[in-house]
Amino acid sequence: MPIKINDLEYTYAQGTPFEHKALKGINLEIPEGKVTAIIGQTGSGKSTLVQHLNGLLKPTKGSVEIAGFTLTPDTKLKDAKKLRQKVGLVFQFPEYQLFEETVGKDIAFGPKNFGVSEEETEKRIRDVLPLVGLDESYLERSPFELSGGQKRRVAIAGILVQDPDVLVLDEPAAGLDPQSATEMMTLFMNLNKQAGKTILLVSHDMEHVLKYCDEVVVLSDGQVKTQMPVHEFFKHPDILREIDINPPGIVVLKEKLKENGFEIDENSYSIAEIAKQVEGQVSKHE
Amino acid sequence: MNNIALGRYIPMNSLANRMDPRAKIAILFFLMIAIFIPAGFWGYIPIVLFILLSLYVSKLKLSFALRPLKPMLWMMLFLLIVNVLVMRTGTLLIDWGWFKVYSDALSQTAYIVIRLTLMIILTTILTATTKPLDLTLGIEKLLKPFEKIGLPAHVIAMMISIALRFIPTLIEETNRIMNAQASRGIDMQNGTFKEKIRAILSLIVPLFVSAFDRADQLANAMEARGYDPSRERTRYKVLKMHSIDYVGMGLALAVLVIDIILWRVGL
Repeated sequence: MPIKINDLEYTYAQGTPFEHKALKGINLEIPEGKVTAIIGQTGSGKSTLVQHLNGLLKPTKGSVEIAGFTLTPDTKLKDAKKLRQKVGLVFQFPEYQLFEETVGKDIAFGPKNFGVSEEETEKRIRDVLPLVGLDESYLERSPFELSGGQKRRVAIAGILVQDPDVLVLDEPAAGLDPQSATEMMTLFMNLNKQAGKTILLVSHDMEHVLKYCDEVVVLSDGQVKTQMPVHEFFKHPDILREIDINPPGIVVLKEKLKENGFEIDENSYSIAEIAKQVEGQVSKHE
Repeated sequence: MNNIALGRYIPMNSLANRMDPRAKIAILFFLMIAIFIPAGFWGYIPIVLFILLSLYVSKLKLSFALRPLKPMLWMMLFLLIVNVLVMRTGTLLIDWGWFKVYSDALSQTAYIVIRLTLMIILTTILTATTKPLDLTLGIEKLLKPFEKIGLPAHVIAMMISIALRFIPTLIEETNRIMNAQASRGIDMQNGTFKEKIRAILSLIVPLFVSAFDRADQLANAMEARGYDPSRERTRYKVLKMHSIDYVGMGLALAVLVIDIILWRVGL
């Protein structure tokens, strides 16, 4: 079932001098089993939108249909607990949510809250650890003695262990070194390809968006600016420049080549393909 | 979390916003003394008039200044109940056998409620019209004379401004962690006592960890930029008193004097 968002509006601090309309009528359909990127400038409403997906916020107007639940202005957030199990939300810098004495206890925190049995939790933890690149020797260690990258893996394991159908990731690779970032993204892509999880990725990193995502949603000033398949989207780098985001390197390269009189196939996004086309045209020229 | 009115600065271009923070602190100081002078109910009239005047020059609504009182209503009600049960002086107003209400119980409660209300309105006006940094600068300048007797005025002011600076950050952090833990199935409002303890723990521990991290980083950043509390610092913005500041202080002082006269001499 796709995620359907109909005419969603959200206003912060309604009825106070600080009233602020963060979402101004969002209409979206996010396909199931795909990786969808949500991009936009700071303050464009990304985080507010994301918090509607697992019922942390409820719409001021409109509705959100996700994982068999429908959130409307009349929904009681008390009932959202089941939804939160189905939709795993990984916040930015999730390492700051760790608090238990041991890694094992911290990972088990979510399932325990959702009433999963202890044996089942044990089993899930053993399944999840290799996914995030940790082994069982970590289970008895304190999360506070781990490095930043390891802490984040533990925090992500704590969400994955809930076995959600939909994973919402807010900048999961922010602040990681390039190699860890790649590992982290590969991990999520495997979850998508192998376990069929629907993934929503909030990111500023256009290289990641181009490499890993299937669809792109652009938010601007609380509204959907555009929604396109990723390869279609990067044919229009001007949309990105309008919201002050730099296109990925390969897109810039294509632009520069075209400016210099080369003809490049719009659908090529790999260096090898582009190199071949350039080579062909250069040899013809000679 | 986002609708805390107490202590929040409201950026507005009013006369009160432009006043010197030292003058405003001095005014608050005079009026606080006036509030505690036992001049009877008549003594509050000049104070109320002064408050109405300052609401006018600060362009704030009375309802805004009254909002921080809302969470205190229960406390005031509790106070009234305790006073009614304990106070046995004054004239007897209600006599239902075991249940007796004396006039002093009511007047004592009224005094406390009025004092609290006036104090909260005054501080709300002060903080709403003065940027936190200006406020601490004002405090630092006013405490300056006491440095001679060993009071570290600058250090106190720096501590206050750092604390104020981090309030919004910590609120944001709290919201973020609460959301993160709610996503892991924690329910902050409902649940048994044990579950609530766990919920609070899952908020407090990460909050402390990140607060200490931030403190550490800030200390390093300050040292890296050569901060030394014992050295004299110059300011980009120099405070300067204007005639309106003297007028304000003069009026506040007048209110205080009237109350003292009412107290010593009576009407």
